[in-house]
Amino acid sequence: MSPELERCSRNLLICEKSNFRDERARYDIHVSKHFFNYKLSMVIPECASLPACIAGVIQTFSSYYRVRDLPVYKFLQEDILQKVVKNGHFYALSYNTRIDEDNTIAFLPSGHLIMSVNKDTYEQLGLEGKPSQYTHRKVQRYVVNVDLTDKSMTPGAKTYQRLITSLKEWVPLKSDFLISMKMTAEDDGGALQTLLSQYSFEEYRPTLQTHTLKETPCPSLHSSNLHGDEKSCDAHRFLEWLGAVSMDISCNNEASSFLSTYVCPEPWSSMSQGLLCTVTGFLIPEDIHSLLLELRHYFDQPKFTSWLSITVHGFADSPVSWGMTEHGFLKGGENFYNFVCFENQDYWLHMATGSHDGCPP
Amino acid sequence: MVCKMAMFMDLNISFTKDKKTLQNIIETAAHLGYSTVAINYTLESQQKKPEIPKPASISDLFDKLPVVQGRSRPIKVLNRLTVVATDPSHFRPTSEYKLFDLVAVHPKTEKIFHAACMTFEADIICVTVTEKQPFHFKRAPVNGAIDRGVFFEIIYTPAIRDSTMRRYTIGNSLGLMETCKGKGVILSSGAEKPLELRGPYDIANLGILFGLSEGDAKAAVSTNCRSVVLGGETRTTAFGIIHTVKKPPSAPTPSDKDESGETDNPASKRAKMEQ
Repeated sequence: MSPELERCSRNLLICEKSNFRDERARYDIHVSKHFFNYKLSMVIPECASLPACIAGVIQTFSSYYRVRDLPVYKFLQEDILQKVVKNGHFYALSYNTRIDEDNTIAFLPSGHLIMSVNKDTYEQLGLEGKPSQYTHRKVQRYVVNVDLTDKSMTPGAKTYQRLITSLKEWVPLKSDFLISMKMTAEDDGGALQTLLSQYSFEEYRPTLQTHTLKETPCPSLHSSNLHGDEKSCDAHRFLEWLGAVSMDISCNNEASSFLSTYVCPEPWSSMSQGLLCTVTGFLIPEDIHSLLLELRHYFDQPKFTSWLSITVHGFADSPVSWGMTEHGFLKGGENFYNFVCFENQDYWLHMATGSHDGCPP
Repeated sequence: MVCKMAMFMDLNISFTKDKKTLQNIIETAAHLGYSTVAINYTLESQQKKPEIPKPASISDLFDKLPVVQGRSRPIKVLNRLTVVATDPSHFRPTSEYKLFDLVAVHPKTEKIFHAACMTFEADIICVTVTEKQPFHFKRAPVNGAIDRGVFFEIIYTPAIRDSTMRRYTIGNSLGLMETCKGKGVILSSGAEKPLELRGPYDIANLGILFGLSEGDAKAAVSTNCRSVVLGGETRTTAFGIIHTVKKPPSAPTPSDKDESGETDNPASKRAKMEQ
């Protein structure tokens, strides 16, 4: 067989181990830089139902909006720009646009506007951008990154006017958007509501699903052994197991099963019951951070398990993965991170990306 | 209007007289995420008096075109003519060819392959997949075709139907890849039944089996097909510069576009000066 066929496409997995109490721990930065998340799934072994405090935190997750056919320049109007886009907690991502086929637009909480556009649109836009890193032979896609907090982008300035003219007259880009914003004390989202009310939009709440796992084999983990040895399993195989559990794939390896021959990695022990809890929606890092804080307190009372895990999946078609690292979609576009929290406040953080993606931080 | 983006296309769906089957295939293609398909009419030139088929009007086929999965836009359907040629005289670009959006040629001998690569006014050159290629792909004609913007097409349904065909498909395509290095290749189905179609990402994966790299394989179902369609469009124009169209009903005319192109350049100069 040809060697190319045996080769798996490129993927990156970064593993780190630290302690939540450690001042140098950078877990909160990694969480806050992964802007666009569509799903989080928690696995809590030896737990029958979702603890009330965790359910409470999920209840407080921000709702998000889906608005149809919104022109991009509307976000750049003076009052929206000042009150909404630059408030530091505003997230918007074009919806139903594919990063490998369409123009994709994202507003980051840092006040950046990222537009990943194809060559024709780029040439018509007349804005400054860079060719996409994941170009094949000929450049077909460009990334325009505009820092809206920059001085030259104050309404009235020349560059600002140019941006507006580009997006309003030359290429009236519009798209469906997913929008979420963390409300702060001084801002009640009034300006955003006024903008949305001009278009057809719906408000959604993140949906929560729980599922109880019965008599499932579960790999043994020891907080000190990140890379795995005979006493605990390594990161790749653990993530694979997590995937199998969340997809409800049988790990029994029965001879009669033609569907799956997957086996739980060694060494494993059987857990009598476990909780799999999934939240889907347009989830913002602030909410995930507060959930993570709550999960740390899960071990305040003694529990039967020594670890729990939380995985956060990013949108496959987002133009960025972590921070402003360009993201692309070759075959899967996966970008996710996973925390394994241990009893002694140690944690493992796994960050993974697919073929067309920069290295996670 | 031209399709601007690198969307997925399947430029070979076999024409059948059975309207229902054809509708089914196109609906399946839309469901799988293809944004453009081409209905293929084959012209067997070996017959005594070959008759160039007339493309059926798309509006006869569908009252309303099926919507591409996950999108709000309908699928685009093109017509394509494939001329099977055993003699250079078989390929005669007449006005009947102009009724088709795309013209392909299926050369059966090395001599015609050479002519197809270097001189024929075609968009696509079909690679034989149902039998062993009787000749070797030489570097000069293959490179000539790539330079001229003519694409080689590999169809995958014979490889799905039959294991012997699969061997020929893989063998012949590996032979082509040795010469063309993955450049200028498109993958399409040649489907006669809806069940023979596969999704674009699956085909990009299948392309790896045919000797394409990951990036080339994906380009073979998206960006390269776009080039083919654009090439087909310019074939009906004068040198790709002048194009006559019926008067469009509303504002966006080609002259508007030109104006915006002109305003582009001075504006970007200004932006540079500011820094």
